[in-house]
Amino acid sequence: MIKEYYRPKSVPEAEKLFEMEGKKCVPLGGGSVLSRLKQDDLCVVDLQDLGLNRIEVTGQKVHIGSTVTLQQFIESEFIPEILKEITRKSATLNLRNQATVGGYVVTADGRAPLAIALMALDAQLIWHPGQKIQNIGDWFSLRQALGYWISGIQFNLNVQLDYEQVARTPMDVPILAIGVARWPSGRTRVVLGGYGRAPILALDGPEGSGVLEAVKNALTESGDEWASAEYRQEVGQVLAKRILSTTA
Amino acid sequence: MKKITFTLNKEIQHWEVPDGETLLASLRREGYFGVKFGGCEKGECGACTVLLDGKPVNSCSLLTVQVDGRDVQTIEGLGEHPDQGWKKTAGLHPIQKALVESGAIQCGYCTPAFALAAKALLEKNPNPTEDEVREAIAGILCRCTGYLKPVQAILKAAAVLRGEESEQDWVDDGGLPLPIDWPSGAEEQPPLSGDTGSMPTIAATRRKVYMPRMFVTPAVRQKTLSRVGKPELKVDAIKLVQGKPAFAADIEKRGMLIAKVLHSPVAHARIKHIDLSKARALPGVAAVLCYKDIPRVVYSTAGQSDPIPGPLDTFSLDSKVRFVGDRVAFVAAETEEIAEQALKLIEVEYEPLPAILDARDAMKPGAPIIHDEPEYVNFADSDPQKNIAARIHIDIGDVEKGFQEADRIYEAEYVVPKVQQAHIEPHVVVTYWDEDDRLVIRTSTQVPFHVRRILAPVLGLPVKRIRVIKPRIGGGFGGKQEVLIEDVAAHLTIATGRPVMYEYTREEEFIAARSRHPMRIRMKTGVKLDGTITANEMRVLSDTGAYGCHGLTVTGNTGHKSMALYVGDGPYRQSPNIRFYADVVYTNTPPAGAYRGYGVPQGFWPVERHMERISRDLGLDPIEFRLKNAIREGELHPFSTAWSEGREPRPEIIQTVGLEECVRQGKALIGWEQKFGNPDWHRVEGKPYLRRGIGVALVMQGTAIPYLDMGGASIKMNDDGSFNLLVGATDLGTGSDTVLAQMAAEVLGVPVEDIIVYSSDTDFTPFDKGAYASSTTYISGAAVVKAAEDVAEKIKKRAARMISEKFPDIQVTPEEILLEDRKAIAPGGQYVTLAQVALNALHHTDQEQIMGIGSYYSPVSPPPFAAQFAEVTVDIETGQVTVERLVMAVDSGVIVNPVTASGQIEGGMTQALGYAVCEEMVYDQIGQAREKDLVNYHIFRANEMPILETVFVQTYEPSHPFGVKAVAEIPMDGVAPAVGNAVLDACGADVFENPITPERLWRALRATKPVSEN
Repeated sequence: MIKEYYRPKSVPEAEKLFEMEGKKCVPLGGGSVLSRLKQDDLCVVDLQDLGLNRIEVTGQKVHIGSTVTLQQFIESEFIPEILKEITRKSATLNLRNQATVGGYVVTADGRAPLAIALMALDAQLIWHPGQKIQNIGDWFSLRQALGYWISGIQFNLNVQLDYEQVARTPMDVPILAIGVARWPSGRTRVVLGGYGRAPILALDGPEGSGVLEAVKNALTESGDEWASAEYRQEVGQVLAKRILSTTA
Repeated sequence: MKKITFTLNKEIQHWEVPDGETLLASLRREGYFGVKFGGCEKGECGACTVLLDGKPVNSCSLLTVQVDGRDVQTIEGLGEHPDQGWKKTAGLHPIQKALVESGAIQCGYCTPAFALAAKALLEKNPNPTEDEVREAIAGILCRCTGYLKPVQAILKAAAVLRGEESEQDWVDDGGLPLPIDWPSGAEEQPPLSGDTGSMPTIAATRRKVYMPRMFVTPAVRQKTLSRVGKPELKVDAIKLVQGKPAFAADIEKRGMLIAKVLHSPVAHARIKHIDLSKARALPGVAAVLCYKDIPRVVYSTAGQSDPIPGPLDTFSLDSKVRFVGDRVAFVAAETEEIAEQALKLIEVEYEPLPAILDARDAMKPGAPIIHDEPEYVNFADSDPQKNIAARIHIDIGDVEKGFQEADRIYEAEYVVPKVQQAHIEPHVVVTYWDEDDRLVIRTSTQVPFHVRRILAPVLGLPVKRIRVIKPRIGGGFGGKQEVLIEDVAAHLTIATGRPVMYEYTREEEFIAARSRHPMRIRMKTGVKLDGTITANEMRVLSDTGAYGCHGLTVTGNTGHKSMALYVGDGPYRQSPNIRFYADVVYTNTPPAGAYRGYGVPQGFWPVERHMERISRDLGLDPIEFRLKNAIREGELHPFSTAWSEGREPRPEIIQTVGLEECVRQGKALIGWEQKFGNPDWHRVEGKPYLRRGIGVALVMQGTAIPYLDMGGASIKMNDDGSFNLLVGATDLGTGSDTVLAQMAAEVLGVPVEDIIVYSSDTDFTPFDKGAYASSTTYISGAAVVKAAEDVAEKIKKRAARMISEKFPDIQVTPEEILLEDRKAIAPGGQYVTLAQVALNALHHTDQEQIMGIGSYYSPVSPPPFAAQFAEVTVDIETGQVTVERLVMAVDSGVIVNPVTASGQIEGGMTQALGYAVCEEMVYDQIGQAREKDLVNYHIFRANEMPILETVFVQTYEPSHPFGVKAVAEIPMDGVAPAVGNAVLDACGADVFENPITPERLWRALRATKPVSEN
């Protein structure tokens, strides 16, 4: 559980906290996950006063401050409707008002719809200090921090995103989900989820051929307590077909 | 520790709090009990909602230090009781008023959260759509209402706040609207205006409410009642909407310890060695107990009347564990953190034993014996050597002959899952010694009197030294018809001498509480080609888990209700052939128990799926086939001479059956004729992979347990002519306190507000069996009527004398006195007020306390009936089912309160919807639960609900003073099979196991003919 809490008012102050000897500090976003942890003794640094709660657009790129809440994300004029709908499936309003985009990404597993979508968009995490950039897929693969905290997340807006999921009810956690991002250049990324510790990249290619095979192959080992691999492989291809049948 | 400054309900606060403490914990410690604990670990229930800077957030997943410098609002800052004597107040907030007026409050545990979420919404968006309202409250789970009435309330409050609909409009606007969209052919109900004719001064409060549709039979129309049948406000609504400290955990006791339980990590094992020394040595730990420390008393946790109809197979603590989650040790400590730390310090060495995790393995030769303890006490046919907790063999008529006479025999096996009650208030108890050294148990229970009786020997105390207090209950649904955790806190209070609180987490609810019995059910039905059922057989394998609580009676009801509905036609109607065999077996999984419906939903899944399949195979209309074989008015309940949950079976004629009318009303409402068999309707334009389907299920339940369960009531008259109604009955959110008050008010001629209801406390209220078996309105209600009639007789006697003294020319007898409008009225119109009668009795002449008592048990259990309909959309490529609409037309006799009753139906249908498509509890190969929270165990949220519609078909049940039958459980019975039948209608796929998950349906689709042929 949390033993020490700090809320720095400036970036230098925050950096000093992370540099304290003998203490392992972790950044606190909205607290919706960290506040409930009981296993380890934690020292947390609350980022809420560091001004990381802005959404900015530069050219075709949108930059989401890491303490932007999921509800702010939904309410932003810059965010495409489909991402808003996916975010709505990702958390209820109570949680969206509290959970931050940074915190969501850091704690997301393979059943997290917005994480699947962001990975399809090939979103990038920006770490502080040093503005180090990490592809979100690398984070999900390695869970390796490149800095003290994530200052923001960025992705391109000129990408068509499509998303389909299967769940027991309309707002349930997905059993199977697929996010497909298509760039004007023809580049196509297909990300799968609904199981496992992280979303899975099925395809990242210069164009959209081979998607169905890629989906089937990526889901070979997807069987778990919620669905068989056989089901996910078959239905994954169905969902992919539906998405591909829409105009890119 | 950190010092923080923030605004709480508009007042600046300076608090010093631990760094890691959640806002929920801080607020409750400071007495803000309107913020509720739902036990969840991921913020999924929302019961703890507060507004942070005006936005709803979960205080359970927010550190208190995070709110430094910010603004927090709790329900305590929203509104207050309008009547506080000489002090003028603003009264309730319009949102709170709307929640009260709309019947949006059942148990009330989540109500403060709804009110706050609504406030945040309406401040930002004064004119929301229904979808926006649903989205705004989707973070708050409600297990009682089905969300319909809370949504209606918020929309109503929005209108008031916009100034479009004044509060006066919906408080006193001259009458209730008639039901809208009256189904064609239905007989119009008498206006529910509450008009009492000549006594306008106490005419029922008139307001606009959303009334369910009503069909009234002539027998009901003839009854003119002033309080019964009216949408009276819930008597506990005002306190619940304010978040008052009404629940078991809303209490402060100096020196109170927090209890925790060490649960078994293994499914079946002996405790070889246990060392508590390190845990006991931890500073702040007051007691650590294992099986060596307390008396070994065998008992049953089933909250049922004496003698408990099941084996005694449970100990508070034992040297053997029988499921993952079973008890190993108890801890009491100064704080929750210390208690949890102490649990980690308990050293246990387990000797693993082979486990039974599949009920089909339980009776196999050589199967491990789960109950080998010598103290085991058998009941009836229980046989622990074979892992059999109970057995039932019922043959009615000549079943084999019936099969021989059939043209076709249909056989199939169906499977129903283990599911959880998921009441939002977890199990919680507080125990302490009072000043007389009597043990007080303040507990969230449905059965306070059973708790006292059952625990007395377990604790080594006589019944008279135990007092059980039942405050408000945050939902129970059968889960609290169990003496589940009271003993934990009580043992620890006995050990320490100090108050102890024990509150389950959500994970404990899943791994260590009770659930619905999962079953495998084999149906065999003989049918003639014209659709006459000649014989019907059900064989059940019921999994009671590690202990046999409720095993016999739940499973008995599976057959007793569902197999009684279809008796056959022609000669078979006179002499039906029915077989019901059941084996109830032990496994090393968490025990099953009571859950709303009590075995009957398990029975109707196979029966109604089976009937659908038979009718389709024979080419018969599925509804006509059902009605041809269904039991009718004046016929013998076929099981009444074969089996009874209570005493020996006795023949019982069913006097009211509104089933045909239910079918007629339900069909009209859902548009059956336009949709069923219409290929155009079944397809969705532009979505070739979607199919629509429509389905039906007919169901029946029971009302109370005949010759067994008794309810008592007492009524005392006060100086002002008001009355205290004391009942042992337990309102677990159903509104039973309100309907009991309505019945008393009806007899005594007063408004409901003059009836002050108190329930329940074993020291002060009369005995009542508790809230289960759909019995409170019927049994406890009849007791209330008897008590009220006792009081009324005394009032009339005194009033007759007073009137004769006041008007010497008038000679009036007590029998001629009418109680109405708070007056005792002579035939000539002369009257004395009840206040005058009360003052006369208490202070003036031949002084006496006017009070009455009544108790009632029933010789019959009149069944309610219903037709339940579902409309679905099926994705034939993925197997995903979306339920679009649920309709229930129900004959529950006379409806005492249409708003609370329809709330019961809507909430029940919603729970049953989960049973249909998403709820189940699954265990892995070592007995570990898959579902430990309300994320994986998904219950429906407000923003994903289908349309819910209710029609009451009111018959007049002659065995009750006001003609009522049960409401609460029957909505659970037919939704799942109606959905299953709708899925079949949509795509031709038969799913034999619920819930109908996408993969189950996908597999069924692959096993059936190509959907293009449908």
